[in-house]
Amino acid sequence: MSTANKTVLLAGTSSLYPELKQLLESDSYRVVSLEQLDEYKHEVRLALEVNNLDLAKKKSTIKQMDTLLPANIPILTSSLAITTTEVASWTEYPERVCGFGTFVPLVERALFEVAPALQSAPSIIEQASSFFVSFGKEVEIVEDEVGLVFPRILSLIINEAVFAVMEGTATPEDIDIAMKKGTNYPYGPLEWGDRIGLDEVFSVIRGLHRDLAEERYRPAPLLRKLVLAGRVGVRSGRGFYSYEKQEVYQP
Amino acid sequence: MTHAQVGIIGAGTMGADIALVCARQGHRVLLLDMNQAVLEKAQSYVGSMLAKDVNKGRITERQKEETYERIFPIADMQKLHVCDIVIEAVPERLELKKSVFSSLAEICREDTLLLTNTSSISITEIAGGIKKPERIVGFHFFNPAPVMPLIEIIRGKKSSDENIEKVYQFAKELGKTPVLVNDTPGFIVNRVARPYYNEALRIIGDQGAGIEQIDTIMKKAGGFKMGPFELQDMIGIDVNFATTESVYTNFFHEGRFKPSRIQQRMVQAGSLGRKSGEGFYEYSE
Repeated sequence: MSTANKTVLLAGTSSLYPELKQLLESDSYRVVSLEQLDEYKHEVRLALEVNNLDLAKKKSTIKQMDTLLPANIPILTSSLAITTTEVASWTEYPERVCGFGTFVPLVERALFEVAPALQSAPSIIEQASSFFVSFGKEVEIVEDEVGLVFPRILSLIINEAVFAVMEGTATPEDIDIAMKKGTNYPYGPLEWGDRIGLDEVFSVIRGLHRDLAEERYRPAPLLRKLVLAGRVGVRSGRGFYSYEKQEVYQP
Repeated sequence: MTHAQVGIIGAGTMGADIALVCARQGHRVLLLDMNQAVLEKAQSYVGSMLAKDVNKGRITERQKEETYERIFPIADMQKLHVCDIVIEAVPERLELKKSVFSSLAEICREDTLLLTNTSSISITEIAGGIKKPERIVGFHFFNPAPVMPLIEIIRGKKSSDENIEKVYQFAKELGKTPVLVNDTPGFIVNRVARPYYNEALRIIGDQGAGIEQIDTIMKKAGGFKMGPFELQDMIGIDVNFATTESVYTNFFHEGRFKPSRIQQRMVQAGSLGRKSGEGFYEYSE
């Protein structure tokens, strides 16, 4: 592949952004931003959109991509908070939209989920899959529903742990220890939430609650408040735990 | 509380395992069961586990004998009056547990710690109406108790701070990792793990993904050791369903805990997982 057909457009504010950018660049992709699109418009072979919390921003980003890119260029959207079918419905060329889902840190994810919209063209699904496979991830194709499989199940485990903290059932530390030692979870749910970003977790649960309208998807009020207060975990220095930001020596 | 006298009520799988854990740490264990055959089975189980310890070079033959002889099988509850700690491990039926604690409250000293290994019944409810309820504390081992490091220490409404502290130290002396929990349905683990099973069932019900596919995703994308369906097959689908029902009932039917009708059908059909030869997967002999 020449550099030209390894050019991808990446846009969005999710914590997926920096990691996807790094992953792509280390696989010699050229990653361009929406602002650079004018310059590279004819070289971009695929677009990735990662906004999860701010759906208005998601909509405007997707619409921009749809307007500015030629109609045959795939748009892959992170369908954590909203179905791909709904995202595709915002576009003029919905057949080129396909969803995917994962959480950071991407280095720990051997597998990404791909969820086609009802409108997705079969060729786009194939392109999406082989794109993720190209940088070493396995792919499972699942039905288009908010949060797909892994982000949905994990977010609900974290949500339940937050309810337990909120109600004073146990401390975050004890809840995390219990889940690791009692059932062999790779991380305690609250430290896991802090690593993923509580905003990302909240966006999945809020999306499920909005779309499926059932009590079982009610976000824990404490989770909502932490997100509103900007205490989203490791990234912000504070979530369920405190993360002292190390001062970096600058010569 | 080094080398305490520990009473254990019920010599089934859990009771025998707890006896082993306590005896290994040097405690004298009074293992009570009304059924002589169950007691004998528990003793031979403990013997075989200790023999394995010898084979693996963990202990000497002499240490094996000493540990084995620290467990005294008994059939008379009155003999528990000497105990510093009593751990109840009888089947999960409220009335049975209440009657055990009601007898213990009469038999034991007032400073004897009375622990229940329940996984699903409220400690407050077990302690309700029992004399000196401040000494009753939840002490939830995970299966298999000799292997799993966790113990949930559950504070009933009337458990005292002082007794919670003593129980906490006792768990540490057993070489376990204790966590403190207020008395809420499912405590920590059985509650927080609910969505792992329930949501996976929900997704297959909605045809969002397949059984094997979900197991694969949770392992490869999530780093879980087992997928939710493999795990249900291992735990027993009936056991898993009963836990969900208990948490659901005790949270007064909050929608988050609603059991799955798919799981219910599996139980009704006797497809219980590994132990019945088929569950979400098939198991040949």
